[in-house]
Amino acid sequence: MSATLLTPESPEVAEPEEAKPDRLRPILATVWRWTSALGVALIIFSILLLTKGANPFQALGDMFKLTFTSSRSVQEIFIQMAPLVLGALAVAVPARAGLTNVGGEGQIIIGAVAACGAFLFLGDSAPGGLIIVAMFAASMIAGALWAGIAALMRLWAGVNEAISTLLLNFVALDILLFLIYQPWRESRTGQPTTRELVDTAKLPVISGTQVHIGIIIAVVVTVIVWAVMRYTRWGFKIAVAGGNAEAARRSGLNVSMLVLSALMIGGALAGLAGMIHFAGVEYKLRPGFGYQLGYTSFLACWLARHQPFPILVAAFVFASLSVAGDSLQLDSSLPAATINVLTALILMAVLGWTAKRKVSV
Amino acid sequence: MEQHVGPRRPLLAVLGLTKHFAAVKANTEVSLEVWPGEVHALVGENGAGKSTLLKMIYGVYHPDAGQMIVEGTEAVIDSPAEARRLGIGMVFQDLRLVPALTVAENIALAIPTGVTLKLRALSQQIREASDKHGLSVDPNAKVGHLSIGERQRVEILKVLMTGAKLVILDEPTSVLAPQEVEALFSVVEHLRSQDFGILIVTHKLDEVRTIANTATVLRGGRTILENVKPSDYTNDELIEAMVGKSVSDLTRRASTVVTTDRAMALTMTGINAKGDQGNLALKGISLTIAPGELVGIAGVAGSGQRELCEVALGLRPPVTGEVTIVGKKIGNPRDALSAGAASIPEDPVADSIVGRLTVLHHMVLNGRRLPAGKVGIDWQTVKSTTDTNNDRLGLHIAATSRNVSELSGGNIQRVILTRELSLDAELVVAAYPSRGLDIANVRRTQEILLECRDKGAGVLMVSEDLDELMSIADRILVMHDGHISGEIINADFDRQRIGQLMIGGAA
Ligand SMILES: Nc1ncnc2c1ncn2[C@@H]1O[C@H](COP(=O)(O)OP(=O)(O)OP(=O)(O)O)[C@@H](O)[C@H]1O
Ligand SMILES: [Mg+2]
Repeated sequence: MSATLLTPESPEVAEPEEAKPDRLRPILATVWRWTSALGVALIIFSILLLTKGANPFQALGDMFKLTFTSSRSVQEIFIQMAPLVLGALAVAVPARAGLTNVGGEGQIIIGAVAACGAFLFLGDSAPGGLIIVAMFAASMIAGALWAGIAALMRLWAGVNEAISTLLLNFVALDILLFLIYQPWRESRTGQPTTRELVDTAKLPVISGTQVHIGIIIAVVVTVIVWAVMRYTRWGFKIAVAGGNAEAARRSGLNVSMLVLSALMIGGALAGLAGMIHFAGVEYKLRPGFGYQLGYTSFLACWLARHQPFPILVAAFVFASLSVAGDSLQLDSSLPAATINVLTALILMAVLGWTAKRKVSV
Repeated sequence: MEQHVGPRRPLLAVLGLTKHFAAVKANTEVSLEVWPGEVHALVGENGAGKSTLLKMIYGVYHPDAGQMIVEGTEAVIDSPAEARRLGIGMVFQDLRLVPALTVAENIALAIPTGVTLKLRALSQQIREASDKHGLSVDPNAKVGHLSIGERQRVEILKVLMTGAKLVILDEPTSVLAPQEVEALFSVVEHLRSQDFGILIVTHKLDEVRTIANTATVLRGGRTILENVKPSDYTNDELIEAMVGKSVSDLTRRASTVVTTDRAMALTMTGINAKGDQGNLALKGISLTIAPGELVGIAGVAGSGQRELCEVALGLRPPVTGEVTIVGKKIGNPRDALSAGAASIPEDPVADSIVGRLTVLHHMVLNGRRLPAGKVGIDWQTVKSTTDTNNDRLGLHIAATSRNVSELSGGNIQRVILTRELSLDAELVVAAYPSRGLDIANVRRTQEILLECRDKGAGVLMVSEDLDELMSIADRILVMHDGHISGEIINADFDRQRIGQLMIGGAA
């Protein structure tokens, strides 16, 4: 035997500590997957345009030009992006704890309702700064409590949060409709809306633009969420609970509290999204307030694989598509819904393309 | 190899296979042959690259370099489906059956049976194949109700029914009780007599000697011994080939801890507890473990060992009865952990492993306070404590930056062992602590458990390996059907008597 005096050379032991995974390669791989997926989606979409008798190069080129070269529509993109970012973070945080929050739609409505309530309660005479602060606080607390209902249903009755958050969306919509048709309605005769915010309670715009500060809030919150998930104890604990609840329980973590807190933080973020959409764009509650914002955010979060910074990119893509949809309609007389086809194609292409290849056994 | 004459040729010849995962050289130029009618044992320490090699042969991983020759023709095995087409079948260590379905339904999922499921005909086929190979598998049984050994036989049957001539078994015995190992080996023996080829991984040398005609030893991803006859080598020579050094026998020693005036490490009084199916799994259990005492739990698998450990750790609330650890009453897992409990779970992958996290992350999941940094957790401290503990315990865990989900089976166990056994615990509850470990690490783990005991911890150790228990325990409790059917003190250890107690016979 020749092997006698060798030291054990098991790769486990011999592996140098510096053998950290190459950081650049996964990023490049992600970028490549995204670009190729977008490419495929665009090709399919072009074929579709052809069958409709439109020239795809013309249509796509115009769409691109109208969307990204006019200052107005670029600003519009950033305005639409802000609540999408927050709504997607509202999905990402619970997802980290292994929870599916489909309740963004309702939490956004409830956040806006609470913000509006705070404004109506304080009235015109209160100083503008106070009103805004109260609106922010109310929206986040209300969103958190609304999501907390779903968390408690899960903890007490074992109801899956994907179902309960979804059902609560319909309840939230009913509450909104009740308020704007009845107690909060501005006038008996006009549209069913609430009174418009006073100017001091509206979100200020970034100077030199029409873009309200919601986008800045969204970016700052993204950084905070990233840092909390990455560096804090709580961030670590929800990752453990989300990765393997039994392992979390066995290591003494309070899994119930982690579920509750993660879902409530998600709700607070969605409530915040509702607040900035309300105080930055709509200024009044109306029947279609924030329509589909929650669901679009949910998709954006999936597109970003639940990661904070990619969420910024995904929200930008969705906001651009939505703005492009408007220009497409104006320009090439294609129905606005055409853009939904492109959105769906992109979503499917990116998700399908980037799914981890499962080893089939 | 030249001793095989005539027209026979190997079922499989592997030549110079290489597979590297980034910096990890899992396999480097590995070669071996499996002949019809041969049981070929693949052995080597944890992380040696055994599972990686098997997965390349079964088409799960793709080699970086090297050749595979199946029955004389070079083959590119790029998927498990291709492997099955070539007559290669594999039983993984973590069995992949659907518990809610019957045996026949599970097999139907694996076999292309056309559009309509002809379950009745399939059941008949299963019965015939099962009889032919001596597997005693009932096609109509629900998989969820079968023991691990029975499930393994279902997997083997499934592999045989998909037309395999070469059957690969990755560590089949490490989850089996001794009686189940015997049953498995008689199946393997039967397959050998039918000219099947079998490639089997095991960490136990006596199993190699019982079952294998040929052995290949891997170390650090390279073949150290290739297609040799085990009988040409002594145990020491084989061990040295596997781990690069000799492994001494465990010297048994009695506990010297003075226990007067100290609270009992563990007391359980009048415990009745339900199992997962709602049945009464523990029936009136009372026991105490003193500080500095190592108590072994013997018993046939499923006699309540799992529930006993869980109740002791506050993980499973008992229906009646009381648990204390060093005098503190235990109501939930937090109580047990803060009283100073440490535990090695029965199934570490299911119960302690969080797939996306690194080894370092796992080192803090022990219920002790997280070391505080400026923001959040001070990972630097965790790292240096881990390094110190790793040097002290000597189980050589994987680099702390590695993701646990890519570690080999034995290396996952070593991470958990290092974390839990470095805690200076008051009570250590260790379920099958040496499961999946190579010889050197089994010995080292037993020594560490004795060191814990000598430092004053009470140790509760569950094992199905009587030899292991008899060589290390101060006292053995035998469990049968949720009861403690007998207690034997160190000096009187007697295999026969323990065996009788395990099947419920009177002491
Ligand atoms: N998918 C993977 N990605 C990265 N490294 C891997 C992967 N699979 C295995 N490895 C590494 O390759 C080496 C060999 O692992 P392998 O599972 O083949 O060992 P093994 O001999 O089966 O060990 P054990 O006896 O513990 O089961 C180990 O260092 C392991 O961490
Ligand atoms: Mg292995």
